[in-house]
Amino acid sequence: MRDESKTIARGLRQRDPDLLDGLIEQYQYRLFRYLVYITGDTARAEDFFQETWIRVLERGHQYDGKSKFEAWLFAIARHLVIDWQRSKKAQSLDALTDPEQEQPLQLANEKEPSPLQQALAKEDEESVQSSLKKIPAIYREVLVLRFQEELQIEEMAGVLSIPVSTVKSRLYRGLEALRGALQGGAA
Amino acid sequence: MSENLHDRGLHLIAKARVEGLSESERDWFEAHLRDCEFCSEHSRQTDRALRMLRTAAIPVPADLARRTQFRVLLRASELRQREPHRRMLWLACAASWIFGIASAPYVWRLFEWFGQRTGMPKLVWEIGFGLWWTIPALFAVIVMLLENARQSEEPNWMKLDQ
Repeated sequence: MRDESKTIARGLRQRDPDLLDGLIEQYQYRLFRYLVYITGDTARAEDFFQETWIRVLERGHQYDGKSKFEAWLFAIARHLVIDWQRSKKAQSLDALTDPEQEQPLQLANEKEPSPLQQALAKEDEESVQSSLKKIPAIYREVLVLRFQEELQIEEMAGVLSIPVSTVKSRLYRGLEALRGALQGGAA
Repeated sequence: MSENLHDRGLHLIAKARVEGLSESERDWFEAHLRDCEFCSEHSRQTDRALRMLRTAAIPVPADLARRTQFRVLLRASELRQREPHRRMLWLACAASWIFGIASAPYVWRLFEWFGQRTGMPKLVWEIGFGLWWTIPALFAVIVMLLENARQSEEPNWMKLDQ
């Protein structure tokens, strides 16, 4: 992992176009999924996806290869979303925990419906997606980072710029909220 | 079974998935799950919830990667075009500082001569000599501000819709 990170860091310093192309391909699903979960909107997630990679190009020299590339990538994406939220509503992502202010998740892609993916495990997907709508953004985010992206708690603390203890408490609450939401959805 | 045991069981269900359990906690937890249907069911539901979260698919727009690669390529090309300008600026600053240091004794004498000639107090022309050194830095700041202003006037297709 360390060698791979170092290679990426070196390539980013040189703004290696082939490396960037490869990274965009490699991380497209994970980054897009993360952005959809934190913005709650696929169209917005597309914008942030592109903007994130532009930032990776511009600030690639800041990645030192000591941490996982995906943790650095998600941190960039998250900061972009927070900056946008602040400029739009003069509030942080954390402030969106108020369910009345939070944007609902809109996971369906109207432009390009995916019949295959809809057919596959449709029932589970719908259940998860409708359940995730009920979970505040900060909990949704930690659940995604931990259980989908499988980041370590320390890495999550780096991405989220919060103490490890806060990550843990959000995970506990998020887990409880997810289970509760799924139970509620199934009932 | 007491509430306290259930509370501990529920806490360990979450802890096992968040940060892992110690050996003693694991032993107690496994024994508890064998005896407690309520916590056992709770554990199964948590596993199910996480399994569904892990397998939930989000469709990625088919050409998103390609469009992004194109934008990144354009931006990289812009940055490459700007690099020579910035290098020139740094070279000009460096040359200016070197020239400044080399010519300092002569500039000092010039200021001294000018001060004596105009009857200026010594402190004033000494301050003038000090300010003379800020000129390259001021020049660099002005160039950078102009460059930033030019960049902000460019069509910004990177801006997100409000």
